[in-house]
Amino acid sequence: MVFILGVNFPERNLVKKSLETFFGVGKIHSTRLLARFHVHPTCKIGELANKQVLDIQAALSEMKIENDLRRQVLDNIKRLKETGTYRGRRHALGLPVRGQRTRTQTKTAVKLNRMERRL
Amino acid sequence: MVSSFCWGCLTRLPSAPRALLPPTLTAQRVAAFHTSTALLAAKKGASAPKYRQGTSMTMKKKKRPAERTRPPAVGERKALRKRIVLSNPNALEIPDMKEVSNETMVDSRLRGSVLGLPVPMLDQLRAVQAFQPKQGWSIFRRPGTVVRRETLEIARLIDGISGEGEEKGKVVKKIVSGARATGKTVHLLQAMSMAFTKEWVVITVPDSQELVTATTAYAPLSDENPNVYVQPEATAALLSRTVTANPVLSKLKVSREHTGLKAPVPAGTTLEDLAKMGIKDPAVSWNAFQALWAELGAKSAAPGFEKGFQPRPPMLVTVDGIAHWMKESKYNNVDVQPIHAHDLLFVRHFLSLLKPGTGQSSLPNGGMLLYATSASNSPTIPTLDVALKQVAARQAGVRPSAPEFPHPDLYAKTDQRVLDAFDSYGLPAPKEGTLELQTLAGLTREEARGYLEYFAHSGLLRENLTDEWIGEKWSLAGGGVIGELERIGRRLRVNTA
Repeated sequence: MVFILGVNFPERNLVKKSLETFFGVGKIHSTRLLARFHVHPTCKIGELANKQVLDIQAALSEMKIENDLRRQVLDNIKRLKETGTYRGRRHALGLPVRGQRTRTQTKTAVKLNRMERRL
Repeated sequence: MVSSFCWGCLTRLPSAPRALLPPTLTAQRVAAFHTSTALLAAKKGASAPKYRQGTSMTMKKKKRPAERTRPPAVGERKALRKRIVLSNPNALEIPDMKEVSNETMVDSRLRGSVLGLPVPMLDQLRAVQAFQPKQGWSIFRRPGTVVRRETLEIARLIDGISGEGEEKGKVVKKIVSGARATGKTVHLLQAMSMAFTKEWVVITVPDSQELVTATTAYAPLSDENPNVYVQPEATAALLSRTVTANPVLSKLKVSREHTGLKAPVPAGTTLEDLAKMGIKDPAVSWNAFQALWAELGAKSAAPGFEKGFQPRPPMLVTVDGIAHWMKESKYNNVDVQPIHAHDLLFVRHFLSLLKPGTGQSSLPNGGMLLYATSASNSPTIPTLDVALKQVAARQAGVRPSAPEFPHPDLYAKTDQRVLDAFDSYGLPAPKEGTLELQTLAGLTREEARGYLEYFAHSGLLRENLTDEWIGEKWSLAGGGVIGELERIGRRLRVNTA
């Protein structure tokens, strides 16, 4: 078990997949992180050297991920609402924001779009 | 007083049990004698299609029961995939089969016959991964290879290099090429078996692909050289192969000081122990490999190390499937750009042996470099094709300025590094041979006869081996392509009786 940013990862897991479990780290960011610290894409958590773990941790802590990123997205939506934009209104009404039709199939928008958007 | 009787329960009681009621006359019971219409009528009423319901049959997916078995242990599946069976007790033993030895390997009378590999050598050959899983070793009683013209050629070279004649200490460099199933990998295996017979040091890279597919660890060499990369695990595996296969390393002692290893190497350390330092700690495996390489190329001992210095044996270096090394690897550099395979030090080391430079020798104590292409597992690299044509042209004496010298297509993307890798410059050391291209093709008819007779003696082929029959099969096998001959040899066993 290796701690990365307060999360405990089993040693048999892939480093790439483990990084992608963080909100805000996708395929592109994980690839970049691996390249930066010379970790090959099929590397398992258990194969990481101690220094690499620390390096990855330091790099992750500099990135805007997890709750910081969630807060930023929510702030953006809030700003749209407060400035009275159409997009802000649509968020608040729980309707599609980007010009989709609303005659049918707005389930996703109804489910997700609200002031406190679920992320 | 509250009665123990619950009214709620009473109201929910069924009106009357069904069995108590008098039997009603249903349609089915009436129609006891003429069944079909009544049954159909009843059925129709029960499952009449509802409003806007499709009438087509819908199949319910059966849910699979959850698998209870545990998956195989880590590495078990790969071990099964890579399993090599070298003997088949059901095949007949051939009584007068000869083995590879100092005498038989250069005996041209044995051309076309199958020479067995000596049993003690099999462990060494396994250690350097000379056998491949898809080759048909498992159909015969014991592994053996057919002696063809190219085998004898290479045997004479190996014999000459390890002998005392003027060929002693020569370096032969060959690229083995050829169509699919023409026996390139087995050609390397034959060379290895001869080298083991002569007690050479054999260093092999059996699978060049795994160095560039980004499945093994990599790291920049140092802070001063951030653009070249070492592969510690792969190097440790190479050292481990080399140590297991070459018991001669335990007799040789170090001849100079080595820096870069964790501890200083005292005089009297064997080369085996030196290599084991790298196996034990992959972090220094590249340094250990370089130290081992320097030791194997040493001609004399440094002061203070003279005691117990023995002349080093010649070396055989083989690489299979070099095309994988001629393109960008799957590794990324810091800027997320692919790293060229030639920037991996492991690859660079073996490719640099092809052109050691002015006055240098790639193997100072002599030996042979055999680099094979692969036709079944090979990326398409047009520049490599041109580079190999250039090697052949230089070998034929065509000058690079001549009009018939092959050049890459002007309108295609050319990888200059690939062209340069095969383009030797400067005057090499006197014993250094030029790079040659050896193209393997089919066997001759005589060799094909010997090979098919081997199948017949092993009980696989029950056929009267006439010249006509052999000629037919020789043609069917694309002019004696040995892999196709093997398929014919094993397929026909059911055909006859």
